[in-house]
Amino acid sequence: MMNNNNSEYIIEVENLVVEYGTRRVLDNISFKVKKGEIFVILGGSGCGKSTLLRTLVGLLRPSFGKIYMFGKDVTALNTQQQIELRKRIGMCFQNSALFNSMTVGENVALPLKEHTNLADSTIEIMTQIKLDLVGLGGCAHLYPSQLSGGMKKRAGIARAMALDPEIIFYDEPSSGLDPIVAAGLDQLIRKMQSTFNLTSVVVTHDLESVQIIADRVCLLHEGKIVAIGDLKEMGLHSDPYLRQFFARTPNPEENQTAPSILDTFENM
Amino acid sequence: MRFLLGYIGHHFLNGLHSLLIVCVLIMDTLNWLFWQPLRGRGLRWQSAVEHFVEYGFRSMPIVGLISLLVGIIMAMQSAYTLQQWGATIFIANLVGISALRELAPLMSAILITGRSGSAITAEIGTMKVSEEVDALMVMGLNPTKFLVVPKFLGMILAVPCVTVLSMAIMIAGGFVVAVGILGIDFWAYFDQTANALVAKDLYSGLIKSLFFGFTICWVGIYRGFQVEGSAESVGKMTTSSVVTSIFTIIIVDLIWTALFYFTE
Repeated sequence: MMNNNNSEYIIEVENLVVEYGTRRVLDNISFKVKKGEIFVILGGSGCGKSTLLRTLVGLLRPSFGKIYMFGKDVTALNTQQQIELRKRIGMCFQNSALFNSMTVGENVALPLKEHTNLADSTIEIMTQIKLDLVGLGGCAHLYPSQLSGGMKKRAGIARAMALDPEIIFYDEPSSGLDPIVAAGLDQLIRKMQSTFNLTSVVVTHDLESVQIIADRVCLLHEGKIVAIGDLKEMGLHSDPYLRQFFARTPNPEENQTAPSILDTFENM
Repeated sequence: MRFLLGYIGHHFLNGLHSLLIVCVLIMDTLNWLFWQPLRGRGLRWQSAVEHFVEYGFRSMPIVGLISLLVGIIMAMQSAYTLQQWGATIFIANLVGISALRELAPLMSAILITGRSGSAITAEIGTMKVSEEVDALMVMGLNPTKFLVVPKFLGMILAVPCVTVLSMAIMIAGGFVVAVGILGIDFWAYFDQTANALVAKDLYSGLIKSLFFGFTICWVGIYRGFQVEGSAESVGKMTTSSVVTSIFTIIIVDLIWTALFYFTE
């Protein structure tokens, strides 16, 4: 494996296996993410895509396999190196995971306070810049419980951006949002990527937002990669699961269960 | 029979496993409390003080009230027997010694468990469910430093302080009954109390209360981090935290009482 820092790939995953007990959630996953692209991990519920994301940011340890970020093997770092790595990545959680006991401004300022020696006034200005960036300029003094779902996600992005990371991970950015707010978030993800040349890894099952944000897509099914490529390649792919996923066709079993529910009503 | 053995073995192994996890937690806490600050990683003093005020100062009214009532109850109960021998003055010894050595530390610890031990579990559990703990870790911030150490510091300072207050008020409760109801002379009762108590009564109570503080805090935190998945789990673990904590407090109490008894 070459460990060249100038390589065009910023994340390289090789033969990754993750197990919960004896259940294999991710099976032999390999892919590479290019610097500055938006890489979307697509998949149905329970296919292991959130597990994959959690493994990438180091919240879960893989059973086998290697993950290289910035050319370094992140599965073999000591605590100090791990902290250094985590300053260079940001993550937006599905439910934004803002600290409810702190205001939005304090949430964004926290990584700056803890990881830098900047003066408080500087941190305040930087926090304001980050919040302006995501369109929450006037919300620094509000608590997370006072924000709407979309605003929380934006605040989560501002916090993830606090230390100017090189890679940002999004876990289901459009889940639970109405189409307009979700579209606004897609735009924001695009804007972040084009303004800062930020590498973005997005986990989602929202096909519409994939059309807008994805440079390349990887489709997961039952812990395995079905296909990797840009949207055009995906359209030409012949895998039956992929075709079903993109056509939003339900599974045949579910068609059969529907009338049986009606039957029970008739028998009542 | 096989089922019974299996049941016992299973629970024994589970118990050993959780003991191991608590040991790791304890080592980690001590590491971030003493060693890491020396290496310039800092300690969150402000947060620790906030927790001290919450666990200690805010629990004083309820602990005070209960201590007064327990003092009164103890004096009345002992008067019932001691009156038969005309020895009501010894209520002072009984109330004083049992308050200092046993009841004040125990009552304070149990009240703080119900009030703050449960709150620690619920807070950490909720943070786990809403992925806030994960968010801390992804930011490169250590949850032990951020969540555990401030609570730990606040708790081990708060419990002995509250206990001292409880001791004083419990003895005052005894005064109320002895002087007010039984008509014992105020100064006679005061002198009797002062003569009955030695320094060892005080410090044995305080050492106990310090260890009760450890127990409440570590059980609360351990149960908090055990929360998985849902809000239901938070409720379950909070209940479990209070039960485990009170149980462990009694065990710790027994151990210290035995130690003091045999080293008399």
